[in-house]
Amino acid sequence: MLPELDPLLHSQLRLAVMSILIGSPEADFVYLRKTTGATAGNLSVQIEKLREAGYITVEKSFRGKMPRTTCRITPTGIKAFETYVEALQDYLPK
Amino acid sequence: MEDTFSEKESLDLIRQMIDTAKNNLQQGTGKVFLLWGYLVAGISLATTILLITLPGDNRYYAYYLWFLMAFGAPFHYLLIRKMERERLVMTYIDKMMRWVWIAFTVSILTVVIGLVLSSLLIYPALSAAKATDDFARLFQWIFMPGSAGAYQPVDQFHFWFQWLFIPPFMLCLYGIALFITGKAYGFRPLYLGGIICWGSVLLLLVTIHHPYVLEIQQIFLCFCAITGYVIPGHLLRKKEGSDVARA
Repeated sequence: MLPELDPLLHSQLRLAVMSILIGSPEADFVYLRKTTGATAGNLSVQIEKLREAGYITVEKSFRGKMPRTTCRITPTGIKAFETYVEALQDYLPK
Repeated sequence: MEDTFSEKESLDLIRQMIDTAKNNLQQGTGKVFLLWGYLVAGISLATTILLITLPGDNRYYAYYLWFLMAFGAPFHYLLIRKMERERLVMTYIDKMMRWVWIAFTVSILTVVIGLVLSSLLIYPALSAAKATDDFARLFQWIFMPGSAGAYQPVDQFHFWFQWLFIPPFMLCLYGIALFITGKAYGFRPLYLGGIICWGSVLLLLVTIHHPYVLEIQQIFLCFCAITGYVIPGHLLRKKEGSDVARA
């Protein structure tokens, strides 16, 4: 029987965000938006879902007078991502 | 982005997103290389000229020019602060390279501070004091235990000779930092600069007994600063316009 894929990660935008954060321990909201091509509103919603699940942390600060949002992946997020990728491999033809 | 997708699309997406964060040097790095490259090249060139033109033992005072390196620090701080403000993403390589360059700086500062203390403070103080002075005896006991009670003032060469090993040592450190950074970011001019530094170390050690060793060392420092910092710095500035992460 095939393992169940984490529904939180099996969403294109959330998976894209997590994949970026796997390669870069911290990334700015603007960078995530540019890289994924998502709208700011949609990205905010998906980031909030990942934060609520404890997969990422979100830190709000200021760069000069400009607000800045920095996302970082957590150990829980790394574990979830690894489990997701392992499960994914079972779905692919051997 | 669509919210439903196949498992294969999922893996492709992961690969694609990880690739976007591949290791590009951050915007502004070129300026940092140019700052230190031009500073080292300028100072080593000026030192060479003074070594040739100053008469007798006064030529060794040319090395005081290297204190001008300290002027690079505030500019470096401003450049780094600007880069940090503009940074949008930090990769694991960025993090690791930050520690490599911190280790490089600490290594250089440790050696320089040690030598400055030795050649500009302790040795001249010993030379100026009479061997019978308690002060001189104490310092002899700490720093030159074998010579206690038999200390004789020495000539200018002995104030400076330890600096003879500094250019090869510095170039070795330059080589390590440039090679690692160049390989980590896949930027060939940087790691070639590192290899040139190592080649120069070999040449400087082979020529250490040459009568013009001091001038040769400064010329090689200048050469390595240009090949390892200035040229890669300009190439990075050019590259920043295209694919260096604006972050």
